[in-house]
Amino acid sequence: MTTELSKAAVIPTRPLKVTINGEAQPIEDIPEELMMLDYLHEYRNLTGTRFGCGRGMCRACTVIVDKPDGSSEEVRTCITGAHYFDGKKIRTVEGHAQRDEEGHIDALSTVQQQFLEHFSFQCSYCAPGFVNAATVLVERLQRKPIARSQLEGTISEALESHICRCTGYVRYFEAVRDAVLKTPGTTKEAS
Amino acid sequence: MNSRSILVMAVALGMNTTNAWSASADNSTLEQGRYLVRAADCAACHTQEGGTPYAGGRPMETPFGIVYGTNITPDKEYGIGAYSTDEFYHVLTEGELPDGTQLYPAMPYTAYHSIPRQDSDAMYAYLMSLKPVNIEAPETDLSWPFSMRWTLNFWNLMFAGETPNNAEDQSDEWQRGRYMVDVLGHCGECHTPRNALGAVDTEQHLQGSVIAGYEAPSLTPDKLAARGWTPTALQTFLREGISDQGSMFNEMYLVFHHSTRYLRDEDLKAMSVYLMGEDPPDARVVDAEHSASADSPGRRHYLNVCAGCHGAQGQGVPHVAVAMKGNTTLRLDHPRNLVKVIHDGIDAQKFNGFERMQAMPGFADKLSSAEIAELVNFLRQSWGGLDAIIDAAAVDELTGNSEE
Repeated sequence: MTTELSKAAVIPTRPLKVTINGEAQPIEDIPEELMMLDYLHEYRNLTGTRFGCGRGMCRACTVIVDKPDGSSEEVRTCITGAHYFDGKKIRTVEGHAQRDEEGHIDALSTVQQQFLEHFSFQCSYCAPGFVNAATVLVERLQRKPIARSQLEGTISEALESHICRCTGYVRYFEAVRDAVLKTPGTTKEAS
Repeated sequence: MNSRSILVMAVALGMNTTNAWSASADNSTLEQGRYLVRAADCAACHTQEGGTPYAGGRPMETPFGIVYGTNITPDKEYGIGAYSTDEFYHVLTEGELPDGTQLYPAMPYTAYHSIPRQDSDAMYAYLMSLKPVNIEAPETDLSWPFSMRWTLNFWNLMFAGETPNNAEDQSDEWQRGRYMVDVLGHCGECHTPRNALGAVDTEQHLQGSVIAGYEAPSLTPDKLAARGWTPTALQTFLREGISDQGSMFNEMYLVFHHSTRYLRDEDLKAMSVYLMGEDPPDARVVDAEHSASADSPGRRHYLNVCAGCHGAQGQGVPHVAVAMKGNTTLRLDHPRNLVKVIHDGIDAQKFNGFERMQAMPGFADKLSSAEIAELVNFLRQSWGGLDAIIDAAAVDELTGNSEE
């Protein structure tokens, strides 16, 4: 007869197949209760995604899920199980910059570059979440441009759930505005 | 003499006409009046979200159209400022305005019918002590034939009268509980099914009803016990809005904020005695026999998108998300409320002191109807001790996604 103790000793697993930053990851047996954040840290050594509040409030753990229809969305990895991502394609903060053949960074993405130029973050804990959220926004506007007059409101709406405790949001806000304006096809002059 | 002391003196002399009556009421009467107004949850309908308390205007959707709660501040033009105590008592307990206009029974005068004159006078004194607000509440405009208020006289002949369960051989505590639940609390307005004419069906008193897609569950002793309730837990739930059985959400969350959190311990106890009886049935313990299989698709959905906050073993996280283990919503016979909260989510909640519950996102865009059905069946089996009875089509029907 199986006792509670012996049941607990065996951690149930299931195979997980996921594509991260364009690369199909090796299919491994992953504990079925594992959160995605722990999978990224412990199985893939992708430690750029941050563990903040651990309850889905601060958004430091946000990654991008790219959907088959070409759209993308933010998902919080501290409260979402690794197996939710089975068969999905995701991007993490490590996947935005252009790299050369040896993996060294050639150029930052527009969003990353603007964050640096505006001194948007200080301790950097929230930065991965902001990079992913701003990238989702810029790409969304490329697919579906908005009137220039709606830009400020749209940025606030897209990023307001992300928490930063250092720089007071204004630098992030201005950086995202510049990133959008520097990306062709995101805004129109008249609505 | 500065202007403030003149004002104080004027109020003391009863010169401030709108507050003249209440100025003569003593503090204990005002305190009692405030308690009764809260216990009767007048704010539920007479206070707009974010608006001045009791200045009216909250839209109430009924099957017959939208009814707006009126201004019950002491304003003479739009409120109750011109009412006498007699007139207030008549409106409260009979649903008829001083000019003879019949109120729609959205005003629970059939429940308030047994409010004693003394309590009505205290409620009047408290409401008259408030600052008058000179705003007109939006006018109720029901579709024909419900727009004809005179027809309500026949409705009243048929349905208005004594509230049920007026058993004379019960204890004083039970009687007090009945008064708090059936009369002031007018719990039956939501928890008792209604007939085709919108009247509560007294034959099925407190046996549960469905309002705007959500079930106001049955409050009978056997059903409460089957869902894990004890008298003590009920008292905690009403006082704190949260207990081991879960947290209040949807309409009941507002009832907690406006009303039940203010109730005295002895009244909460009396309510639990009335609802569950002097000798309450034992709360049902969920046996593990029903547990869903470890590789059920519903369990996978749970681990994927629920366990992060509700815990892999359904244990919940304090101040973040309620436990699924022992949760009363999972134990409702009909899976309606479970489907609705998973589909729609629940806004962040504030309870007493520093108690909070984090916002729960809706999963309408994350889970398909088939997946929601699998998840709900898993929850019912694992922690509800109930059978898996729902499928995708039923989820569609409950969430309004079914094709016409």
